[in-house]
Amino acid sequence: MAKNLSGDLQVASANRLSDGVVVWLGDAGEWTTRLDRAAVARDSRAGEILLLRARVEAFSVVDPFLVAVTEEEDGAIEPLSLREKIRASGLTFDAIAADAVRYA
Amino acid sequence: MPLYSEAGGLPATYVPLSFADWQQRPEWPAVALANTDPVEDLAPHVGRLRLIVLDFPKFSDGRAYSQARLLRGRMGYRGELRATGGVLQDQIAFMLRCGFNSFESEQKGFGEALARARTLFSVVYQPTEDGRAPASRLRLETATALLAAD
Amino acid sequence: MPDTFFYHYDAYDRTLVSERVDQFRDQVRRRLAGELTEEQFKPLRLTNGLYLQLHAYMLRIAIPYGTLSSRQLRKLAEISRKYDRGYGHFTTRQNLQLNWIKLEDAPDALAALAEVDMHALQTSGNCIRNVTADHFAGAAADEIEDPRIWAEIVRQWSTLHPEFTFLPRKFKIAITGSPNDRAAVRVHDIGLRLWRNDAGEVGFEVIVGGGLGRTPMIGKTLREFLPKNELLAYLEATLRVYNRYGRRDNLYKARIKILVHEVGVDKMRADVEAEYAETRDGLLGLSNETIEAITRQFAPPPLPHRSAFVPDVERQKFEDAAFALWLKSNTAPHWMAGYRIVTASLKPAGAPPGDASAVQMEGVADIADAFSQGELRVSHEQNLIFPHVAMEDLPAVYAALGRLGFAEANVGKITDIIACPGLDYCALANARSIPVAQRISNHFSELARQHDIGDLKIKISGCINACGHHHVGHIGILGVDKNGVELYQISLGGDVDFGKTALGTILGPAVTADKIVEAVDALVTTYLDARAAGERFVDTYRRIGAQPFKERVYATV
Repeated sequence: MAKNLSGDLQVASANRLSDGVVVWLGDAGEWTTRLDRAAVARDSRAGEILLLRARVEAFSVVDPFLVAVTEEEDGAIEPLSLREKIRASGLTFDAIAADAVRYA
Repeated sequence: MPLYSEAGGLPATYVPLSFADWQQRPEWPAVALANTDPVEDLAPHVGRLRLIVLDFPKFSDGRAYSQARLLRGRMGYRGELRATGGVLQDQIAFMLRCGFNSFESEQKGFGEALARARTLFSVVYQPTEDGRAPASRLRLETATALLAAD
Repeated sequence: MPDTFFYHYDAYDRTLVSERVDQFRDQVRRRLAGELTEEQFKPLRLTNGLYLQLHAYMLRIAIPYGTLSSRQLRKLAEISRKYDRGYGHFTTRQNLQLNWIKLEDAPDALAALAEVDMHALQTSGNCIRNVTADHFAGAAADEIEDPRIWAEIVRQWSTLHPEFTFLPRKFKIAITGSPNDRAAVRVHDIGLRLWRNDAGEVGFEVIVGGGLGRTPMIGKTLREFLPKNELLAYLEATLRVYNRYGRRDNLYKARIKILVHEVGVDKMRADVEAEYAETRDGLLGLSNETIEAITRQFAPPPLPHRSAFVPDVERQKFEDAAFALWLKSNTAPHWMAGYRIVTASLKPAGAPPGDASAVQMEGVADIADAFSQGELRVSHEQNLIFPHVAMEDLPAVYAALGRLGFAEANVGKITDIIACPGLDYCALANARSIPVAQRISNHFSELARQHDIGDLKIKISGCINACGHHHVGHIGILGVDKNGVELYQISLGGDVDFGKTALGTILGPAVTADKIVEAVDALVTTYLDARAAGERFVDTYRRIGAQPFKERVYATV
C-alpha cells in the first residue's frame, strides 16, 4: 500500500546538461541517476527548499523541477504521473536493437 | 549599456528621439524606433538622418531585422544603424547582413565576437544589404569565367 | 558506387555547412562552460535540430526534399551506432531523429553528417524549416516537373536567412510537382503546387496559412499562378509580411495561418503583393542559368530499357499471394515503362512506426545500390522509397526487403500507421502514441484482411501539436491527458489528397487506452457492413455520416 500521508511528497529532478540523462537531487546535494537516492521533501515548505537547493546546484543540469511521488512501505518511491514514471523507468516498449532486422 | 560601433562614432549629442517625439521635430538627425513603428514613414528623411536605433525587445523577436533591411535596401539609408535590447553575440552575423553597424549589448565577450562575426561564414546564400555576393552569383561568375577560358 | 542524380554540394555548400558546425561547436563549448544560460542556448541548439526530450537530447537531421543517397543512409546508420543507440526514427517531415544523443557529442555527430553533405540546420526553431517535397519526385508517372529543383532553390535561400531566423513561429514549406498531391501542400505554412496554365507555362500556385497543430486550417490560395523565376522574391515578400505582422503576443496564435485568418486572405494578398511590387525587380529574381544549373543536377538517371512484361514476376504473382499483394500496395507507376517505384514499409506488424535499426538502414542502402541507382526517398508517411526499380528486379527487391522486415504489403493500409514519438520520448506529449500504434498494427496484421479493408489511413498524435497529423487521418487518434489518465480522442474523415484536403471531425467522447483497438475495430466493421462497391473507408464515411460509426463504437467500448 502506497503511503503519501501529507499528500505532497516530492523529489527534485532535471536532465543532465552534458548528455540529457534524467537525474534527481540526492541528500548530499549531488545529482544522481538513481531515483532511490533522491532526497524526498515531505511537505510543501520542504519542497520549496528542495527546489531552491536544486537551482543552486543547477550548473550541470537543465531546468530543475519538482516531481510528486508516492512512497511504499519499504521506502521505495515512485513518481505519480505517467510522464515522470516514463522518465524514471524508460520506454514502455522495446526499441529495436542496432543489429536487429526484425522488431521483436 | 556598452556600445560597439563600426559606424565611425557619432558625437554623443546625437540623442535619439522616440518615434513620436521625432515626428514633432523631424529635422532632428537621430531616432529610435519600436519594432512596431512604421519604418516606411522615415523614407522622406533618410538623407538627413544620421542615427537610427532599432529595438529587439527580446533577442527572439526578429521584427527589427526587416526594418533594418527596408531602411538600408529600399530607402537607401546610409547613416548609423544601431541594434539595442536583446542583442547577443550569436545574432551578430545576421544583424550585419541586414545592415546594422552598431550594437548595444551587455553580453560579456561581445566585442571579441563582433570582431570575428564577419568571418564566421565565408559563404552566404542570400543577396542582402551587406552587399556580399551570394553563392548563386559566384557560381555564375565561375561558370562564365570557365566559358571565357575555353 | 553509383553516382547520384540529385543536387551535388559544391565547395560553397560544403564550406557553409562546415562553418556552421564550427559555430555550433563553439556554442556548445560556451554552454558547457556556463557562459551561456539555457534560455540563451536553447534557440541556438534548436536551430541546429537539437531538442532536450524526456530521457536525452534528440537530434533531428534534415533530409531535404526527402532525397537520400545510399552513401548518406550508411552514414546515418554509422552515426546512430557511434553516437546513439543504433536506431533512428523517420518523421512525418522527411527528417531522421536520433533519440539518445549527448550534447557533448552533438558537434562531432554534425561533423560526421557534414562528411556526406548533410546537416540538422533549421530542423527546429522559429525559422524556415527543412523544405519537403513529393516523395515520388523525379520518378512519378504523373509528374509535371520535378519539385526538388525548387525545393533546393528554396533550401539555399532559406539557409541562415538573416532576416527570417527569429520569426514569430516556425515556418514549413512543401512543394509538389504532380496533380496528385503527395506532399500535403494545403496543410503547410506555404504550399507550392506546380501546374501548367492554358498558355502551356508551368508555374506555382502559392497556398498560404495551412497547418495542423492546435488550430488546424486548410491553406488558402495566395497567388493562382506565379512564374517560376519569381519564386524567391515572392517568398521573401510573404515572409517579410509575416515577420513584421505575425502575432508574437501568444505562442499559440503566432503561426502565419492565424495572421491569414485574422486579416483575411484578401488583405494578406494585398499586403504581400504590395511588398512584392517593391522586391520583384531586385536581386532575388532567378536567372535562367541558375535554374538550369540546378535542373541539370536533377536530371533523371539514364535508365536502361527493361521489359514491362516479366514472366517471372507474373509467375510469382500467381504462386505467392503475399508477393501479389505487395506489388499492389507497395509499388507505384514510374514514368518509364518497365520500372516501378517501390516503398519499403517501415511498419512491420507491431513495430514502432518509422523506426529503423542501423542494420536495416545499411540493408536498405545495399538494395538501393543494387536495384535503384543508389537513390532513396523518405516519405511523410514514415516509409523509405526506392524510386527506380526495374520490374524484373522486383522479386529480388521483395526478397531482400523481406530479410530486413520491410516487405510488409501494407502501404496505404490500416497498419501503415503514422505516429509521433509520443510520451515515451517527447517532452511535449500528453499521451503515448507508439504503443497504441503497435496494438492496432498487431490486431490487423493479417494481410488479406488489410487488403480487404483497403485504403485506410490511421494517424496518431500524442498531443495537440499534431506531429502525427491526426487531423488528416481517415481515422485520427489524438492522445490527451485527463487527470493523469491517457485518453484517446477519435476523429473521422480527414484527408490530404489534393482537392479533397479535409480535417477530421471528432466522433465523440475520448476512449481509454485499453479500448482503442476495439473502437477502431468497430469503425472498420461499420465500414465493411455499409460500404458500396469501390468505396474506401473515408468515402463511406462521407456518404453515410458519423452516426452509424458513433453508435457502433460507443456500444462497444
